[in-house]
Amino acid sequence: MPLTRLFPNLGFSDYQVTSPPSADYNCIAWAALEDDRWWWPDPNRIFYWPEDAPREETLDGFVKTFELYGYESCTSTEIEVGFEKVAIFVDADGEPTHMARQMQSGGWTSKLGTLEDIEHSLRGLEGDRYGIVAAILRRPIRSL
Amino acid sequence: MAAFWPLDGQGLSDESNQLRDGATRAFIHYHIPMTRETLAQKFRALADAWQEETAHLSSPTRIAMHPAYQQIIGMGLPVIPLILQDMSKEPKQWFWALTSITGINPVVPSEQGRIRKMVAAWLRWGTEESYI
Repeated sequence: MPLTRLFPNLGFSDYQVTSPPSADYNCIAWAALEDDRWWWPDPNRIFYWPEDAPREETLDGFVKTFELYGYESCTSTEIEVGFEKVAIFVDADGEPTHMARQMQSGGWTSKLGTLEDIEHSLRGLEGDRYGIVAAILRRPIRSL
Repeated sequence: MAAFWPLDGQGLSDESNQLRDGATRAFIHYHIPMTRETLAQKFRALADAWQEETAHLSSPTRIAMHPAYQQIIGMGLPVIPLILQDMSKEPKQWFWALTSITGINPVVPSEQGRIRKMVAAWLRWGTEESYI
């Protein structure tokens, strides 16, 4: 199925596919800079979630989890020198559906379930499938 | 149906009506294709629909709540070999279903989320339990 059928707003801005499909990792892992593990705070403890993080499928739980990695809430989706950002999408019930990570270019990168990674505008993934962006988090870029 | 059972109950005894109703049910049952699908065919159709409609999702909870996935869980133990066979061809999110049906989870905590290792753990379990 073409991605623009799943996410019609992608059709209104540039996006590009940057990887083949993979079931090895999901958007949360990708936001956390991993590509070999499926992250989710499922109640059955089938999937990975950081040990010290709240195992809750809530926006607050996701924010607290990423705070453990040095992130803090912010309001701007624009690129800020010296910071890296992630965005959390929620559905109409306020439950997390997706995360995206900002690239140095200011664009965003996402893993779409078991589908591909894409580079996209943040609003390109808003809509029926992932809902809306409800939180932006940032942390200082760590020097290597 | 009217052409097949022309009497429409008129002038028949109660017993005849019961026989006629039973024959009608048998006729309808025979001609509904779903009832003659094999378990494998039904599984394949449901699995394909589930895969198509949830591939973009990240939440295993949402993936598992899909109606087709829930129907597969409802098939119970007989569907386990089909799930394991499907999983052996391509890693998919069958973990929730397998745990729901069997009540166990053979994946060790250190491998949570490592999809290929999780698949390997379930296939090992399936071999040990003679499902594959």
